[in-house]
Amino acid sequence: MVGQASGGRKHRRRDFHIVLGLLLLSLITINLPFEAQREIGNALRESVLRPFIEVQLMVARTRARARDYLTVRAQLDSALTFVASAATLAEENRQIRDLLDLHERSPSRLVAASVIRSGTSGSSSVFRLDAGAGDGIRSFDAVVTAQGLLGQVQEVGPGSSMGYDWSHPDFRVSAMIVTNEGQAHGLVEAERGQFREQDRLVLRGTAFLSDLEPGARVLTSGRGGVFPRGILIGWVGEVAGASAGWDISYYIDPAVYPGAATYASVHVVMPADTLQAVANTADSVAVADAFR
Amino acid sequence: MNVREATVVAGLIVAHLLLRIGFGLQNAAPDLMLLALLLASRSLSLGGGALVGFCLGLLEDAFSMLSFGASVFALTLVGTMGAQVRHMFVGRSIFFQSTYFFLAKWVRDLLAWLVSNPDSRDVFVDHVLIESPVAALYVAAAGLSVRYLFLKDSARE
Repeated sequence: MVGQASGGRKHRRRDFHIVLGLLLLSLITINLPFEAQREIGNALRESVLRPFIEVQLMVARTRARARDYLTVRAQLDSALTFVASAATLAEENRQIRDLLDLHERSPSRLVAASVIRSGTSGSSSVFRLDAGAGDGIRSFDAVVTAQGLLGQVQEVGPGSSMGYDWSHPDFRVSAMIVTNEGQAHGLVEAERGQFREQDRLVLRGTAFLSDLEPGARVLTSGRGGVFPRGILIGWVGEVAGASAGWDISYYIDPAVYPGAATYASVHVVMPADTLQAVANTADSVAVADAFR
Repeated sequence: MNVREATVVAGLIVAHLLLRIGFGLQNAAPDLMLLALLLASRSLSLGGGALVGFCLGLLEDAFSMLSFGASVFALTLVGTMGAQVRHMFVGRSIFFQSTYFFLAKWVRDLLAWLVSNPDSRDVFVDHVLIESPVAALYVAAAGLSVRYLFLKDSARE
């Protein structure tokens, strides 16, 4: 009996130490550097959770295929009309750039992907895309929809990637607003609402005397080199606040509501070696044309 | 823990991941992961309950970019408490079991909220006093269903 009692005490003490150790470990997990947390999450997603992610991608693709054919057809027709009308503008633009002796812009392409939300706690503002490194996607590429800017890619896997939308607290984008008096610049970031549906964008750091008209278009300025220039972020709303006569902040009506986005495109900037390959191809085509 | 209980616990974990991640049902599916932990921890030692909670929390946090570790901490504590409750209460009634599931879910959400990143967490009243009790009722209903559908004999023991 005495032996059993001391054995029980020993077990309880061991259990107590295990619990204490695990609690300490969980607190360490919370305070780990972001990179380490990312590594752990990535390792779990690529191992234990892999089958569930495959199911998620499969379900997303099946849902995408089941969309109304006529809607997709109508969207395709609209896109073709736009492309046809844009061809003339592109040619005019090329001629004007030639006249002004301007360099070609860095070519970029759009990679289409389905936006998938994972339903676990703490994953709000985060989405998965069913396209990854194999499609040329890299970390920090911009994610856009037909309406405007949705968010940014953060982690890239071989066939899928993870990113966050503009409602994430770490989201920032340099913005410009073209007005009659010129351009106003600032930094757009998310501001939490009382409910997640009330999250909104705020343009901070614009000059105090810049008087922006409500409804003016807010575009990415391309400063910082992360987001390409000219993507629609939203429209200027009411004044959010001013700081001691130095700058003024405005609420922005977002162009894209994150919850409504089911499809998006990733703005992939072609890397330098690809650019060289394109240039070589262009040269060889030019030489071939000259021979003809 | 007997084979049937272990099978039900494993099934609940797989169902949770399948419903919430695979089919993207989010909160439309009850928190079956927590339910699995509560059922498992009732038959495990304190250390065992904490360890299962820790591992399940890591799985839950694998998709978290806002507050990594919050679920790990919350589920480790809930797993410990689940194992400890067995020594304090021996309850078989529907009232006891539904209260047990309800309180566990509410405490889990409260703990996760407390250690979450203050910049990203929801407002206390909305999250802990409105959303969480509703989710806790859902878990309690699911827990009772699982208990009486799959673990009827274990509930009588």
